[in-house]
Amino acid sequence: MNTRAKFSVVLLCLGLILAFLPRSGNSSFIVRPKNLLSELLDNNTYYSVDQVARFIISEDSTVQIIDLRKPEEFRTANIPGSINIPYYTLIDRNPGSILKNGKARNIFYSNGDFDSNYALAITRGLNIKNTYVMKGGLNEWYNTIMNSSFTGEKITARENAMFEARTKAKKMFTEMNSLPDSLKAKFFQTKHLTAKKLDGGCE
Amino acid sequence: MEIIKNNKVVIVLVVILLVLVIIRSTSVNHFQSDAKRWAEPSVSQSNIITLENVKLLTGKKLIILDKNSSSPGEITGDVQNIPADSVLSKIYISLIKNHNGPVLIFSMDQGLSARIWMILSQMGCQSVYIYTKTSDNELLKYKFRPDTIMH
Repeated sequence: MNTRAKFSVVLLCLGLILAFLPRSGNSSFIVRPKNLLSELLDNNTYYSVDQVARFIISEDSTVQIIDLRKPEEFRTANIPGSINIPYYTLIDRNPGSILKNGKARNIFYSNGDFDSNYALAITRGLNIKNTYVMKGGLNEWYNTIMNSSFTGEKITARENAMFEARTKAKKMFTEMNSLPDSLKAKFFQTKHLTAKKLDGGCE
Repeated sequence: MEIIKNNKVVIVLVVILLVLVIIRSTSVNHFQSDAKRWAEPSVSQSNIITLENVKLLTGKKLIILDKNSSSPGEITGDVQNIPADSVLSKIYISLIKNHNGPVLIFSMDQGLSARIWMILSQMGCQSVYIYTKTSDNELLKYKFRPDTIMH
């Protein structure tokens, strides 16, 4: 085979490889469409506000709550322990690098349901599996947790546990968000210290 | 003829490559590259449509519905419903991509509408909208009242 023919064959082989390269990379979905649809139709990608409230009051270190709203909205009030990654920032950058935080669960929330579910679809499409959504967003948080009240004469043990958790979460939310920004970070440090002292442990 | 005989291996490889590229390019069931570009309408919320705007749309409307929702009665005219869990079947995805009019997604669970919209947008479907009765889903309906009492 002469040189030209060999060169042609090499180019063709390269072309073949290019044609078969997966549509991957940071900028496009890598999960198959039908698999992604199946994941997104699964209700196990949601956490309720009560479940998130329990994560907060137990300070579950395997969970990261992510606020997708604008920074000014986050500063006004946010769920204790959450970090702010505005939705437009999440899709602008590589979500994989932002969410590689070693957490078992990253739970998105926004004011309603749109942004958090867009974020879920994008991250799951990029094969980032440990992402979830707080169903109903901050509107549901206010409706269920902040406006929680018990009416009636009797309460079951289960209702009592739920009401207690809601009350603790509401207290935490109010206390933390009432602090000036400079003191919010210290709020959690103080909580850790208080809990250790109550346990009788050493520093 | 001599040239073809001498280069038949190369010609066969070119034809195979061409066929593979054509198959890959014309396949309807794949995601587009540049996820950020196809997610843009969700940032500007230009993918959300309310009843007032739906009334202005002409032509046949395709409505993607989840199994727990019924077709919104206020949308009249030539309407075809598509079940959400089958939206990626060959028949429906071709129907959506070739449809010469608006495709609406409606669900009582607006989060589900958002998810389906993102999948379809990432597959290159451009005239897909989330139909919602109110346009204020991402508006915070409550005001936080700080605790001003010193503890």
